[in-house]
Amino acid sequence: MNFRALTPEDIEVFSEAISNFFNLMTRQPAQVKTAYVFQEPAPIIWNDFNGVIQVSGGFRGSIAFSAPRGLLSEILIVMGESGKSDAHFLDIVGEIANQLSGRARKHFGEALDISPPISCERDGFPLKATADGPAYAIPLTWGPYEANLVVHLDLVKKS
Amino acid sequence: MKYKLMIVDDSMIIRNHITRLMSDPRLPEFEIVGLASDGERALALAQERRPDCVTMDLTMPNMDGEACIEALAKILPETRILVVSALSDKATALRALTKGAHGFLHKPFTDDAIVNSLLELME
Repeated sequence: MNFRALTPEDIEVFSEAISNFFNLMTRQPAQVKTAYVFQEPAPIIWNDFNGVIQVSGGFRGSIAFSAPRGLLSEILIVMGESGKSDAHFLDIVGEIANQLSGRARKHFGEALDISPPISCERDGFPLKATADGPAYAIPLTWGPYEANLVVHLDLVKKS
Repeated sequence: MKYKLMIVDDSMIIRNHITRLMSDPRLPEFEIVGLASDGERALALAQERRPDCVTMDLTMPNMDGEACIEALAKILPETRILVVSALSDKATALRALTKGAHGFLHKPFTDDAIVNSLLELME
């Protein structure tokens, strides 16, 4: 099969999804920074908790949201959740990855077939190169916290 | 008599969030009768508890939301189903409605959005 890498317009969709999530959920905007090509699994990217969505259908690859405990804790408070166990952090980081990926379907359509999230802590990140094209890191800051959305996708070329 | 609500979502946080909204003064006529984390559990629970309404996620392990909607619509045709999903393309929403859902709410959602959607669902 033939695949093509993402375009800047494709990446912008994910930046907008991040902005939309924080605006709607927290009413406190996130500062979404410029995406860059992510060459290696540098430790600075993979934070305390990671939520990974596997992508198939007209695409192949993965979308991962990586965030520190503090940011996730604040999100839980906003949602009225009093639990602060690792199970809560793993759940919410996966749910955020799911919501950011789902939002991208508005642009890519239902060919972007997304899996239920797989969540893990920093040391358990199951990084596998599932796409041939470059991976993009989209850094963001929200209050004092830094997080990343890592988009590693190929689009199937239509013949 | 209260509306019996079942919440189906693979995220515990989302299930808890919607559960807490049942204390909203605008929803005095709703009570939770079941929580399920995938479509298979939802179907089994629905046959036992016979909910009047369901909030249904779509992307779930084991049995996804679309398959669950289709099965629920057959066994409990009177049950009203509100899809609450991150999938934001129109084709997915239309397919869910065709299979038996009655409303669609995109994640992320505000408290007001889900309260209003539940009220509209049962109008």
